[in-house]
Amino acid sequence: MSTRLAATDAARSHQRQWFADLRAEVARGTPLAVVNADAPQEILRTMGIPYVVNQWWASIVAAKRRTTAHLELLRARGYPDYTEQYSSTALASAFDPDPESAPWGGLPRPSIVLAETTGDSSRKVFDVWEELPGTTFYALESGAACEAPPNWWELMPEHWEEAIGSDRLDLMVGELTGLIRFLEMHTGRAFSESRFREVMSLVNEQAEWNRRSRDLIATTRPCPVDVMANVPGVMLPQWHRGTAWARDAARAFHDEVAERAATGAAVCPDERARLMWVGRGLWFDMGFYQRFQREYGAVFVWSMYLGIAADGYQRYGDDPLRALAARFAAFSDQLYTPPWSSEWYVKEARLHGIDGAVQLVSDDARGSHFTTRALERAGIPVLELHADNVDPRTTDESTLSGAVADWLERRVLPSGHR
Amino acid sequence: MPAALAQLLDHAADRTSAARRWSAAGRAVAGYVGADVPVELLTAAGMLPVRLAGTPGADAALGDRYLGTGVDPVARSVLSTLLEGGYGHLDALIVSSDCEASRRLFYAVRELRRLEPEQALPPAYLVDVLHLPHRTTTGYVLAKVAQLRAWIAELAGQPIRDADLAAAIAAHDRLRGLLSRFSELRRREPARLSGVQALGVVAATTVLPVPRAIELLERLLDEAGRLPVATGDRVFVTGSSHDGPDVYAALERAGLLVVGEDHDWGDLLFHRPVGGTTELALAERYQHNGPTGPRASIRRRAAHTASSAAASRAEILLSYCRVQDPGPPWDFPRQRAEAGLPAVLLERQPYGVVDVDALRLALGEATAQRDIAR
Repeated sequence: MSTRLAATDAARSHQRQWFADLRAEVARGTPLAVVNADAPQEILRTMGIPYVVNQWWASIVAAKRRTTAHLELLRARGYPDYTEQYSSTALASAFDPDPESAPWGGLPRPSIVLAETTGDSSRKVFDVWEELPGTTFYALESGAACEAPPNWWELMPEHWEEAIGSDRLDLMVGELTGLIRFLEMHTGRAFSESRFREVMSLVNEQAEWNRRSRDLIATTRPCPVDVMANVPGVMLPQWHRGTAWARDAARAFHDEVAERAATGAAVCPDERARLMWVGRGLWFDMGFYQRFQREYGAVFVWSMYLGIAADGYQRYGDDPLRALAARFAAFSDQLYTPPWSSEWYVKEARLHGIDGAVQLVSDDARGSHFTTRALERAGIPVLELHADNVDPRTTDESTLSGAVADWLERRVLPSGHR
Repeated sequence: MPAALAQLLDHAADRTSAARRWSAAGRAVAGYVGADVPVELLTAAGMLPVRLAGTPGADAALGDRYLGTGVDPVARSVLSTLLEGGYGHLDALIVSSDCEASRRLFYAVRELRRLEPEQALPPAYLVDVLHLPHRTTTGYVLAKVAQLRAWIAELAGQPIRDADLAAAIAAHDRLRGLLSRFSELRRREPARLSGVQALGVVAATTVLPVPRAIELLERLLDEAGRLPVATGDRVFVTGSSHDGPDVYAALERAGLLVVGEDHDWGDLLFHRPVGGTTELALAERYQHNGPTGPRASIRRRAAHTASSAAASRAEILLSYCRVQDPGPPWDFPRQRAEAGLPAVLLERQPYGVVDVDALRLALGEATAQRDIAR
């Protein structure tokens, strides 16, 4: 049982065409940026500089089952293949001896790479990028808070200064100001303040549509759209945010969800359990999310991709650069730093009537304890799956599926949550 | 062994004895995590700063539970010891952003103080010192230093006077200068200190009151002529940091002599003084200190490794990378290229342990390369 949405199909087609056009444009000499998912892409959008999101590319490589081969390319150059797999896949593409056979014709060589220095090794991936001829790394610094009000999702749209703190915002505004000057000099392109305001407005409009979609899915029984459909339906427009197309794609997605909700169309009419997927998408095995519908009536109704698109992007205010700083100065805290992350997952679980949560725990520093604990204390059974989201060497399909099936039978379905 | 060296090594082995005496006299002890904590502020407030070290091989179940096994085992060990009361009474805990594991440790402590107040963890503070060499970062770090000063003052019940801060900075800079002179004892040929001894002396200065650390170091330097020659193949250690002697001891048992390193339980702790008396001078010192494995660029780190290895007259470069310390393996290819020495990489090593068989094999290959080059 799968939900095939016209909006998602349209987004996929658009992405294919966009990437083909981008390759042609870069071949003609247009500068390309490769950026991390939580980088301030709105600035590039404003200046008309094409960019590819590092983690999107990794998801494509993983879906084509090429990650292992990519990681071997890193290993052959003396770099670790067991850390930062999600962030280093695109770098490995740059070492591909046969780029013509790469997914989607291959990732063109960027002239700019853009990322925060957060973490101990993700900036090192970008340092290696910079060692490639013709590529410059612009590193952004982002602060961390000593105190954090847990209800960030209520504060962020209007009261982001209170949620994040002025020091962190001052720093990020400084970083963005420097980035704009760097891009002006590096590309020769101008930064239009008027255009920037349009971009910021479009992003907020897109986020509003995502919020409406999230609310619909949360409150509709049985679930009209599962994560298999809503992840690409939300994330492909997300990587184009700041464009009218992306705003309209988010609206089209919403309208289709609303239509399905109104007509009672369901992913799984015999829905017995509503599940939450906490963590990054399992890009090398997206079919995983549908495997439990037929036998157990268990539907993954939630992933962070729509959740964060609904709650994590809206920033209003008279100073658009400071508002943009507020979008990214604490972005990863929203997902990975307790109490922000743990309280948000509980809020989302309650909103969606979640019966059980599966948390993907990667072999890195983000940890899982406080999220699992918060959900369990809210009465929601949690299963932790230990695997990397793009590196299939870290697990196997039967282990993951077996663990979920066993957990459903033992903890979720007998508990009578519904 | 000279008496001062023996006393310093005793303090390295028993890291709580000085703090116990300090507490018994009714004075405050502040535990801290990471070399990015501006300890001058604690000294100026009359507190004893004690750097918290982990214990390889000890039960770290609590740290594993709260932080997860994806976090550097050093942080897991520190959190376990903290929760078990192994550091004795602490009036405050100050954690820096020196690496992701430290940040995660702080977040865990913050959550545990919120969710489990019965744990009676000390008041905790994150001092978010960042390191990009930009003016924007300086402004941010300066704000963090000022806020830490205010937080400590509130805890201490009185403001930190400028004169006290200036005196504390001068004392810590004096200590840094002495440690730099001390470090020369193993850089020279022949070396007069083993790596284990050097590491222990530096570690001792992170638990002692600064005047006492200065006094013992001055005596040690006076007695340096009586130090015996230390022997072994001269190796420069890069990669992960070492908060205890176990790895160095294993390396030196295998016939190596650690003559230098670029982590912040060693040379990176003291090579850069503040050189001023103000909050700004303090902020700039901590911003620009390094380059450490978790926070510096590959380029800056490789340049530093190469120059420091040369200054240490090292014959071999060894990158020891602890499990769940993800930065150092990315540094290694460029470090090897720039150092121009036979180079060995040991990856995913357990906390406090060296895979000796892998070490011997890699050393054999590295020295063979060296001999061929000669």
